[in-house]
Amino acid sequence: MLEGKQNGQVFKLPKVILLATNITNVELEKAKAAGFADTVIMKPMRASMAAACLQQVLGIGKKRQAGKNMLNGSMALQGLLCGKKILVVDDNMVHQRVVAGALKKFEVAVECRESGKAALKLLQRPYCFDAYFMDIQMPEMNGFEATHPIRMMESKANKQMNGGMDEDSGRKGEWHVPILAMTADVIHATYDALNAGWMDVSKPFEEAKLYQVVAEFFKSTRSNCFT
Amino acid sequence: MERNPIRRQLAIMRQSLFDQGHVDEQFVQLEELQDDANPNFVEEVVTLYYRDSARIILNIEQALERKPFDFGKLDAYMHQFKGSSSSIGAKKVKAESTLFRECCKSGNGEGCMRSFQQLKKEYATLRKKFGAYFQLARQAGPVETASRPK
Repeated sequence: MLEGKQNGQVFKLPKVILLATNITNVELEKAKAAGFADTVIMKPMRASMAAACLQQVLGIGKKRQAGKNMLNGSMALQGLLCGKKILVVDDNMVHQRVVAGALKKFEVAVECRESGKAALKLLQRPYCFDAYFMDIQMPEMNGFEATHPIRMMESKANKQMNGGMDEDSGRKGEWHVPILAMTADVIHATYDALNAGWMDVSKPFEEAKLYQVVAEFFKSTRSNCFT
Repeated sequence: MERNPIRRQLAIMRQSLFDQGHVDEQFVQLEELQDDANPNFVEEVVTLYYRDSARIILNIEQALERKPFDFGKLDAYMHQFKGSSSSIGAKKVKAESTLFRECCKSGNGEGCMRSFQQLKKEYATLRKKFGAYFQLARQAGPVETASRPK
């Protein structure tokens, strides 16, 4: 959980995991520029993927050896993810159910909403989620539009934490919310996208590849201590 | 090899769903989510699928009765339908959804109609197969599955 203090109040900034059935290069570029997404997951989401990605964005078990089989690590993972609160935002009820089922397997507390609008309502209350799984393609408000307010909140909090200093120069209070975007279609992600905070995982899911990609990502970003 | 004849029959049925291309590996994902805490997960999700997608099928049918076709709308409906079908691993149905969407994108009304007919056939066939499968599964009773260690 990311936390920050402002005027004595504790912010909890959730990680945002985007789900997408289809993402075009235009959307990808948009997301890169806005720094929305760090991780992309293919829909439909596989159970192993759900847990692995959640684990990575929550910074759990980063010390594991490179190439270690994640599924075998799911024993430890289960304990670590236990009690985390996740919000799943997906307008497809069936997929929502599958994602929720996958997360519940790791004893994660799951809330579901069908739209970006409904999800943002939760943001306004003192709800504390550790992560959001968000569908990119939703009718009224797509995933990017829904995560924008989250980014704004984060950016605001960063600026305030740094006492008005430029976000880039300040090393304190540099919250970056990793986002996993899910898509059923192949995305043409490049290593630029990776450096910009995107991660591409294409079907079929390859654990070793995922780990390698994620390890690179964490190496290149400032490592935060998440509890 | 299953000793229990019902279980054996169930295994054969299950295998044929894969062999005949009705379901893909996503279906296995659903099965992996089934455990003691969620003993009927697969059937529940499939039931949800048929309930949810029935609405979409109806919408598409109605949309296909209005000329000229609103390809944008048709595509949007099918996008939803494809997403659901994909989530349960309904392979043939999903493939037909893709074809339908391609017809929408190229404004091929005839193609849409043909594709939709085929899709409904596959959808109905799968429903029957699932029906028989889950009925037998209930008879077989809960299976000792390897559950994830806690």
